Amino acid sequence: MNSQARKLHIPVEHTTLSNGLRVVVSPDRSAPVATVGVYYQIGFRIEPRGRSGFAHLFEHMMFQGSENAGKMEHIRLINSSGGLLNGTTNYDVTNYFEAVPSNALERVLWLEADRMRALKVDDENLRNQRDVVKEEVRVNVMNQPYGGFSWLDLPPVAFRNWPNAHNFYGDFADLDAATLADVRNFFHTYYAPNNAVLLMLGDFEPAEAFALAKRYFDDIPPHPLPPSPDVSEPPQTEERRGEVEEKFGPLPAMAVGYTAPPRGTPDWRAFTILDRVLHGGRAGRVHRHLVLEKQIAVEADGSVDTFDANGPTQMVTRIFHKPEYTSDATLAAFDQVIGELQEREIAEDELDPVKVKFRADYYGMLEGGMGSYMPRFGLMHYLACFTLFDGDPERVNTVLDGFLAVTPAEAQAAARKYLVPRNRAVLLRRPVAMGGAR
Amino acid sequence: MTTASTPATPRPYPTAAPALGPESPVSWPARTVHALPSGLRVVLAESRQFPKMSAQLFFRSGNAAVAHHSPGLAGMTAAVVRTGTASRPSRRIEEDLRRMGADLGTHAGADSSVISISGLAEFSGQMLELVADLARHASFPADEFERERRQRLEELRVERTTPSFLASERLRHVLFGEHPYAIAAPTEEQVAAYRREQLEEFYRGHYVPADALLVAVGDFAADAMLAQIEKTFGDWKAAQPEPLVSPVPPHPSGRRVHLVHVPGTVQTQVLVGNLAITRRDPDWYRTALANSIYGGAFHSRLVINIREQKGYTYSPRSSVHALRQQGYFTVHAAVRNDVAAATLTEIFYEMDRMRALPVTPEELDSARNYLAGVFSLGVATQDGLLGQLSTVYLDLLPADYLETYRERIRALTAEDVLVAARRHFDSANAQIVLAGDREQIAAQAALFGPVTEYDGRGNSM
Repeated sequence: MNSQARKLHIPVEHTTLSNGLRVVVSPDRSAPVATVGVYYQIGFRIEPRGRSGFAHLFEHMMFQGSENAGKMEHIRLINSSGGLLNGTTNYDVTNYFEAVPSNALERVLWLEADRMRALKVDDENLRNQRDVVKEEVRVNVMNQPYGGFSWLDLPPVAFRNWPNAHNFYGDFADLDAATLADVRNFFHTYYAPNNAVLLMLGDFEPAEAFALAKRYFDDIPPHPLPPSPDVSEPPQTEERRGEVEEKFGPLPAMAVGYTAPPRGTPDWRAFTILDRVLHGGRAGRVHRHLVLEKQIAVEADGSVDTFDANGPTQMVTRIFHKPEYTSDATLAAFDQVIGELQEREIAEDELDPVKVKFRADYYGMLEGGMGSYMPRFGLMHYLACFTLFDGDPERVNTVLDGFLAVTPAEAQAAARKYLVPRNRAVLLRRPVAMGGAR
Repeated sequence: MTTASTPATPRPYPTAAPALGPESPVSWPARTVHALPSGLRVVLAESRQFPKMSAQLFFRSGNAAVAHHSPGLAGMTAAVVRTGTASRPSRRIEEDLRRMGADLGTHAGADSSVISISGLAEFSGQMLELVADLARHASFPADEFERERRQRLEELRVERTTPSFLASERLRHVLFGEHPYAIAAPTEEQVAAYRREQLEEFYRGHYVPADALLVAVGDFAADAMLAQIEKTFGDWKAAQPEPLVSPVPPHPSGRRVHLVHVPGTVQTQVLVGNLAITRRDPDWYRTALANSIYGGAFHSRLVINIREQKGYTYSPRSSVHALRQQGYFTVHAAVRNDVAAATLTEIFYEMDRMRALPVTPEELDSARNYLAGVFSLGVATQDGLLGQLSTVYLDLLPADYLETYRERIRALTAEDVLVAARRHFDSANAQIVLAGDREQIAAQAALFGPVTEYDGRGNSM
């Protein structure tokens, strides 16, 4: 009963308010729910020097109270409307999002507008959230086997420009140094309507959503934005290496990162397809070769942030290998996989299924992407990235085509150009039990 | 609400939150429920917004069925099931999955073993054929078994350095005693002792249609899908396994502290728990509501107290775990070492407050809306719907469970919450587990009751 492949078309409408706030709407009348997000174009990449971790600490402060909704009020009002909420800090954006029954749409917009308009926090809020963030870092990084591997470990080895290479979760000394004046300044600098996009998805008429957006957001004053800092990397001339001690886990681990071509280029599409040939579970060449066939590794997989990154980023392979194999032997086996991509074109009967899986994963991301109770999170996320980075939310309906058109020759050329030692960094995570970092 | 025909006129920015609009009705999709002559039960629901399909084939036997002789054997069986069938070697299975744009998972919990698949709807038929092949013709290749065994051993070694894992493992031992739920994970020695024939025996005895449930949600026509399932699974026959009979868990009395020593930790994993109820218990709804007010939601008393007021922890939560035979209630928080005792004080303060005083009308209203609303979010994704349907049909809940859940929650009172807290938040007999560095926390632990210390392998020290 194999039905025909159905081409998905997502309805997208968008506008820009007089203050520069971009508004994107995607109606979906299949269930009486709404997903709302506000994405600010500020991530940890360009947080201030001497204030590592500040973009994330600030994200916590956005839940601490605004002009008309005091501490815990945002959370109470969303939860008591039957909804869920969260925020995340990323390289190039910070997002705040809610999934609610659709009758709470207006309330959500009021809350998001209130905190875009005027954050209202004090020293006690800051002390409290600094403590909470330190516990977040402890539970996710310092007290966890392989904590921070490799999203915190690898960038300082791979990159040279501070925005790309610092500790994104923050050194505790920097977190301690953060003041309320820093919070106000950061808010005033980056949390402007003209540096954001509002997204509304779900069960409502687009005209109704646009009218509500106008009502609640249109009179928030824009701010002049600072010039974009230079986040480019100096040319790399040789492979980079680093080592970090693993305090708890017994297995040696390794991360290999190759820097991606610029967003939106044909090379970026070919590079992404290479990622899907190498990674994506047991059919990926890396897992098959290292885990299933050679059995050097216990786990090996990887990924690249194709749509979410707006600056230097890497395709990263993470390998946990058996202690009886050296890191050199493990890397040599990995290099053999890379070498094959350079020497031979990928056969159509491997490339075609990779593209089918790419399409399936893209649809899956659009439908969910953040667990079962945050409908269309992925669609919201991609609409935000395409709006902020590419100026075109409707790309969500066309972006797939370019990836599905990558040819074996293009993939091979990209492997020869980008999967080379002078474009990569290798990080070893050595268990203390085996003598630790050397 | 402002509508399209009403131009937005300048009005002062409102200083109070807008009222909620009128609630839209929530309709769960029609289900096709059918039993094949073999006993395989099938539940189908259409969800046609995205061209994808998700299905899960459950067998009502998991690690509890083997805990008395080979802990974790059901998990190892599930892991090896995906590595080969009579007609498909491992590599072919993985390549077939890619051709269908599909992901496959094979797992076992305490109560069930499950084969899960999710992929493009245009390949629904082939996905079901693969699931049937794995369920009926797994070949347990010896080399794949040895590779999976080694992988499991390495995973276990990592788990035994992970404070949250060590704390849950210890709590299960303490709460369940001789009951099979006591064993959350096998030891390395037990994994090393598995034999391939044992896996095959478990598979033959428990991967059987009479004890199976197939749930599928996605972009398909239910009648065509049912016909496909009858074709694919129709000639499957096997005997039903003996029902599992388990000893009664001990119901420990008096607070005790169980300290799992993890050297060098910069945080203590605090875990408090007691035996509670299953989803079929009449107290389920009121206990869920009490839990959400206590510590089950972001806006809950415990989270406000120890995160938002005191800054002890990042992500504290309480939960009711609905295992099939016997549920249990837990509270967990990862906290910096010097506030382990202070955290326990607040956990018990908030628990006792729930047991002593009725919740306020505002809290009640807010929590009822929370549970009812979040439940309705589940209808909007294929995986949400699949999870809800699986819960209903695996736990043998009433057929109108989804349709009536929200009104049942909305009918609860402050008295219901009080009753549930008194019955199921067993403060006086709660068992306390602390996983952390004993040098840092032993003195704090002793404030809460007699302390027993363990190492990461579960030996008492």
